[in-house]
Amino acid sequence: MAQNKKNLIASIISIFIVGGGQIYSGRIITGIWFMIVFYGSILVTKVLWIQLTFGFWFVLAAWILFYLFNILDAYRGVNYFAPPCEKNCPAEVKPWYYINLVVSNKISYPFIPFFKILGMICPAPCETNCTRKGIDEPVAIRTLKHGVKTEPPVVAEKKRKERVAIIGGGPCGLTAAYELCKLGYQVVVYEKEKFLGGVLSAYIPEFRLPRSIVEQEIEQIKRAGFEIKTNVEIGKDINLAELITDYNAIFIASGAGKSAGLGIEGEEQVLSGLDILERIKNGEQIRLGKVAVIGGGNTAFDVARSLLRYGNEVAIYYRRGIEDMPAEDENKTEADEEGIKVYPYTTPVKIAGKKLVMVKTQAPQGRKGKVEIVSGSEFEIEVDKIVAAIGQVPYTDFLNDYIKIDEQCRIVTKDGRTSNPKIFAGGDAALGPQTLAHAVGDGIRIAKKIDRFLKGSLFNFKFTIYPVEPQYWQMVNTPRLKVFHRNAQERIKDFKPVEEIPSAEDLKNEAKRCLVCPLRYKP
Amino acid sequence: MKLKRIVQFIASAITLGNYPAIWQGGIYQGPLKQGCVPILNCWGCPLSLFSCPIGALQHFFNLHLIPSYIAGFFGAIGTVVGRMACGWLCPFGLFQDLIYKLKTFKMRMPKFFSYIKYGVLIVIAGIIAWISGEPWFCKLCPAGYIEAGIPLVLADKTGDIKALVGWLFWIKMAILIIIINFSIFIKRFFCRAFCPIGAIYSIFNKFSMFQMKIDKEKCINCDSCQAVCPMHVPIQNSPHNIDCIRCLDCVKKCPTKAISYGAK
Repeated sequence: MAQNKKNLIASIISIFIVGGGQIYSGRIITGIWFMIVFYGSILVTKVLWIQLTFGFWFVLAAWILFYLFNILDAYRGVNYFAPPCEKNCPAEVKPWYYINLVVSNKISYPFIPFFKILGMICPAPCETNCTRKGIDEPVAIRTLKHGVKTEPPVVAEKKRKERVAIIGGGPCGLTAAYELCKLGYQVVVYEKEKFLGGVLSAYIPEFRLPRSIVEQEIEQIKRAGFEIKTNVEIGKDINLAELITDYNAIFIASGAGKSAGLGIEGEEQVLSGLDILERIKNGEQIRLGKVAVIGGGNTAFDVARSLLRYGNEVAIYYRRGIEDMPAEDENKTEADEEGIKVYPYTTPVKIAGKKLVMVKTQAPQGRKGKVEIVSGSEFEIEVDKIVAAIGQVPYTDFLNDYIKIDEQCRIVTKDGRTSNPKIFAGGDAALGPQTLAHAVGDGIRIAKKIDRFLKGSLFNFKFTIYPVEPQYWQMVNTPRLKVFHRNAQERIKDFKPVEEIPSAEDLKNEAKRCLVCPLRYKP
Repeated sequence: MKLKRIVQFIASAITLGNYPAIWQGGIYQGPLKQGCVPILNCWGCPLSLFSCPIGALQHFFNLHLIPSYIAGFFGAIGTVVGRMACGWLCPFGLFQDLIYKLKTFKMRMPKFFSYIKYGVLIVIAGIIAWISGEPWFCKLCPAGYIEAGIPLVLADKTGDIKALVGWLFWIKMAILIIIINFSIFIKRFFCRAFCPIGAIYSIFNKFSMFQMKIDKEKCINCDSCQAVCPMHVPIQNSPHNIDCIRCLDCVKKCPTKAISYGAK
C-alpha cells in the first residue's frame, strides 16, 4: 500500500516536472535522461524558432506523447519480464518473486488463497520449466512456499451494493469469493456439503494433506467476510432461477464430483474411487482384501495408497504407459516406494463374480492417441473387489435449463462466461478435472471478469507494482534440497503426513539456488 | 564490460572519428568519404569519416542508376556474416542499447512492426527517391537528424543554414522524439521497425556463411536467450530470424550452452 502511494506521488511530480517523479523514486539517471530529451528539445526549438510552420504541430504531438509516457512510467515503476516459472503457473503466482522474499525475509507477498496447500499438492509446472534445470536440478519452488510469510488477508473497507452468488465452496469458489470480497462485493457461497473446501477436505487423503491445514487455510480466507450457506443444494433446496433474480452475478464452481463409469459387463460390483476416499477421510476403516484399482490419475493412487494403509493388497491397472499417467510424479514414486504394483497397458473387459477379465492394450506415447486392444491377449485375475478411478465428470444436471452444457457434462465457457451473460463458470465444472493450481488461477481470473462485468468498464489500467525491489545474488552451487520422506515401511502403517516440512534455514539455503532470471537475464 | 560493448564503442569512435571538427567546425571531405561504413551513419555529421550506404544507394537512385557498387558491398557483407554489423558496429544501435538500459517499465513491440522496414526500404528509399530525385529517407532519418541536423544548425555562425529551418526540420524533430521515446521502453525500436539497412541485411540472414545453431536436445525452452536478446528474437525457435543481429549475447547466456555460432 505504501508503495502505491509513493508511485502516486511520483506520478504527480512528473505531471509538473518531466523526469521529476523518476528522480523521486530513486531512478536518477532515468529522470535526468527524460529531462534532457524533453527540455533539451524545447530549448532547441526556442533557439531555432523563426516562424510557425505546420511541421511544428508534429513536434507538439511528439512532446505530448513523451510527456504522457513520462507520467505513466513514474506511476508504473520498473517491471520485469516473466521468467518461465511465472509463465507456466496456472495459479498466477510469481515464484521468482516469493523466492526472493524468502532470502530477504520480508513479509510482503500478497495473500493468495490456499498458498500453503499449493506448496504440498501442486504438480509444480514451474519446476519442470525452471532455468536451473539446465545447470543441475530445478529449484524446489513448491517446497519453498513453506518459507514465505504472506500478508494477512485483505478486508475491504468500502462495501459495494452488488451481490454475487457463488455455487460451490471448493478451492475455485472460495478463491473467487475472497477476490470479490477484497473488491467490496457482497458474496454468498452456497455449498452442498456440511463443510467447505470441496475436494481438499473430502477426498485428498490425510497423509498427503492433513485436514487441519485445510481448515486453517479456509479460516484465513473466511476473514475476508463473506456469507456461507452450507447444506444448501441448488435445484433441491433452492432454485437457480431464484438466484438469478436475487443476485447481480452468479459464479458456478461446482467441481467435478461424479465418478465416471467403466462401461463394461458386471459393472454393478465396481466401487467408486471417490466414494472410498470419502469414507476413509471420515474415519471408516475399509478392509476389502485383494483390490484392483483401475486408472492412472491422482485419485487412483490416493485410493491405492489409502487402502494399503488398512492392510489391503492393492495393484493398479492402467491402459497406457506409466509415463503417460496424469498423476503427479511424486505420488507415483511414493507409491512405488510403498510397494504398490502398477500394471501399464492393461484394461478390464468383463467382470464375473470374483474374476476379472483383463486385456493387453497398445497406445502411442502421450495422453492423446487412441488406445487399441491387442486381440487374443485376454487373461484372468482373481480379486475381491474392483475400484474404478478412471476420471470424474462434473455434476451439472441442475443447470441444464439455464446454460449450455457439452456432451462431457462440462459447462461451455468462453473466457469464463457462459451462454447466460449473468452466469460465470470456472474450475473443474468448466475445465474438467484439473489441479488445485488451475482451480485457484481460474478463481482469480474469473473474479476479475465478474468485477469488470459489474462495473461495466472496458479498460482496466492496473499494473503489477512490486512492493519490494528484488535482490540479486551470485550463483551458488549447492545441490537441491532433499525433502525428508518417512520410511516407506513405517509410513504405510498410519495416516500421518509423508513429507516433513524443512526448517527455515534449509529453505533459505534452497532459495539462494534461484538464478533470479528477470534480473540475471536482462540485456 | 562485454566484448561486444567494447567493440561497439571502438567502432563508433572510428566511424565518428573526425575529431578536429569539434574545434574547427565543418564537414570532413577527404578521401575516406568515398568509402562506406556497413551501417547507418550520416555522412553529414561533422565527426563522420565515411559515407552512409543508404545515402549512397539513394544517390544512385536519384541519378536513375542501378547501384551495383552498393549492392555488391551489402551482398559481400551479408553473405558472410548476415546482420552482424548491426550488432557490433552501429553507433545508432549502441545509442538505443544504452537508453534501453534505463530503469523504466518495458514494453514489447507487436510482431508486424518488424515488416515496416521493408516498406521504408522499397517505398521511401527506393521508389520515392527514384521518382523525386532527392534522398527522401535521409530527409527523415532520425540518426541523420541527431548527428548532422542539430549540430550543424546550432554551430552555424553565419546564419545561412539557420535560415533554411522549415517544416521538414520540425517533422524530423518529431520523428526523433518519438523514436527516442519508444527506444526507452522497447528494445532497439528503430532497428527492428524502420531501419532500411537492417532490412537489406536481414534478407541474407538465411543464407549467410556463418549461422546461429540450436541444439534442440540441450534446449530447455527457458527463453533466457529471448530475454537477453537486444532485438527480442525467439532464437530457440528460429535461428535464421530476420531480426537476429548476431550479437552472440544469447550464446554467452544460455544456461545449457545449446546455442552456437559458426560456419554453415
